[in-house]
Amino acid sequence: MNVRVDVSTASAVQRPLIACHDLGHVYDSGRGRTVALDRVSLTIQPGEFVCVLGPSGCGKTTLLNILAGFVQPSHGEVLINDYAIAGPSPERGVVFQDYSLFPWLTAKANVGFGLRMAGRPAAERDAVASDLLRQVGLPEAGDKYPFELSGGMKQRIAIARALATRPALLLMDEPFAALDAMTRASLQTRLIDLQQRSAQTILFVTHNIAEALVLGTRLIVMSPNPGRVVEDIAVDLERPRRRTSPAFNELYDHVARAIGLDTAE
Amino acid sequence: MAFKLKQNTVAGALGTVGFFAVWEAISRSGLVNNIMLPAPTTIVLSGWELLASGELLRHLGASLWRSLLGFVVGSVLAIAVGVAMAQLPLLNATINPLVQMFRAIPALAFVPLAIFWFGIGELSKVFLIAWGVFFPVWVNTYLGVRDTNPLLGRAAASLGARGWRKFAFVVIPGALPFIIAGLRVSLSVALVLLVASELAGAAFGVGYLIQMSQQVFRVDYMFVGLIVLGIMGVVADFLFEGAVRRLLPWYGVEKSLRGAAGNKKERKLAEPAA
Repeated sequence: MNVRVDVSTASAVQRPLIACHDLGHVYDSGRGRTVALDRVSLTIQPGEFVCVLGPSGCGKTTLLNILAGFVQPSHGEVLINDYAIAGPSPERGVVFQDYSLFPWLTAKANVGFGLRMAGRPAAERDAVASDLLRQVGLPEAGDKYPFELSGGMKQRIAIARALATRPALLLMDEPFAALDAMTRASLQTRLIDLQQRSAQTILFVTHNIAEALVLGTRLIVMSPNPGRVVEDIAVDLERPRRRTSPAFNELYDHVARAIGLDTAE
Repeated sequence: MAFKLKQNTVAGALGTVGFFAVWEAISRSGLVNNIMLPAPTTIVLSGWELLASGELLRHLGASLWRSLLGFVVGSVLAIAVGVAMAQLPLLNATINPLVQMFRAIPALAFVPLAIFWFGIGELSKVFLIAWGVFFPVWVNTYLGVRDTNPLLGRAAASLGARGWRKFAFVVIPGALPFIIAGLRVSLSVALVLLVASELAGAAFGVGYLIQMSQQVFRVDYMFVGLIVLGIMGVVADFLFEGAVRRLLPWYGVEKSLRGAAGNKKERKLAEPAA
């Protein structure tokens, strides 16, 4: 593992949580090479809520998978707190689009899974899981199995599960894309609350412009062929954000143009 | 719907009672030799006789013990080998052709060989049952462990699952539905091999009861043996299903969801009446 000595003990300069240097990734399929990521460099500060937006094939999921440690980049490197990422780790929690809860575990056991893997005692797992289930608004669901829960409830459990190990970074891969519009809006509000209360650093991948503008403090826009970053915008719209406000719509149009959408529709 | 259900129950009961009534009539009519085809009432009385004398229980006890031992030995070995082969590619490459070859041979064909090797005692029977049970459980375990859901694997890895903890808390539970399916198939396989091995020679057992009764022209006892085997199969399946439902409430989700929907409908139908 590539270990760097931390010399910046003084708090003069804010140290980035995540630093990607010249990240590239190429998929070699039988029919040819696809450049999923091309020279992507970016840093993420602690407490940022970063939304990564782009059409399919722009490399946003590849970027998330590299940060999660599921995929090794073809070149370049990613540092988290100055250490190179060597693989998946509970310091980087992941929430998947299709929930990916363990069907054989109750909601509480799913939430406590990360602590169990770390060998923590049952009493601690129980306390943490109960607390997180309360935070996601499902204090009564602890003994239920995933098949007894709705999609929105499952995704709340999945978020609680990813937070249980107190990750430095929470990675979310289109987590609300499979939910109905009302459930999605309610989960977006919950996520904003949670992020504002805990200052949790989040990288949230989506292809939905409005979702990205409602949620994030920063918006990274990507475009495909090859996958690269085309815009990096600080989103300082006031909360609660109204989708009908002129500022919101102005930003919406700007982003839509950036990813090549005709906004006249 | 409730009416139709009742109608079906009545039809089923009539069909069953009718079948036995016709059988009873034929046996008693003198049209056929009632030693060759004893009447149902005769069979029940003979069954009671065997039960009261304790003979039936001794046969049943011997059969149950063999089946259970063979089933446990065969499935434990199958799960161990299946898991090992799915986890160790080199082991898999080495013994897969062998296992596939043995799997292709019907287990019943091993009966004479097993008796030649292990005699007509317990060993040959337990061996045969374990042999037959092994293959369905092995193939299901292997596939279940090999085809672990990759997304759940990623989720587990991002939560810090590694080594034995990953194996015990993710790989094995993920493979359980497959393993259970293999075990259920093996229940009936075990029964087939039990009877085959007991028919081929034994001192006790339900299969032996059938075989011996044939030699002394007690067709009624043969029928008693058949009925006992039928009950064994049904009870084994019932107990297995009950154990799965109790130990793994998340297993067979679709079934339970359908059950819940059905109950709700029934409740709705029942409410106006109450």
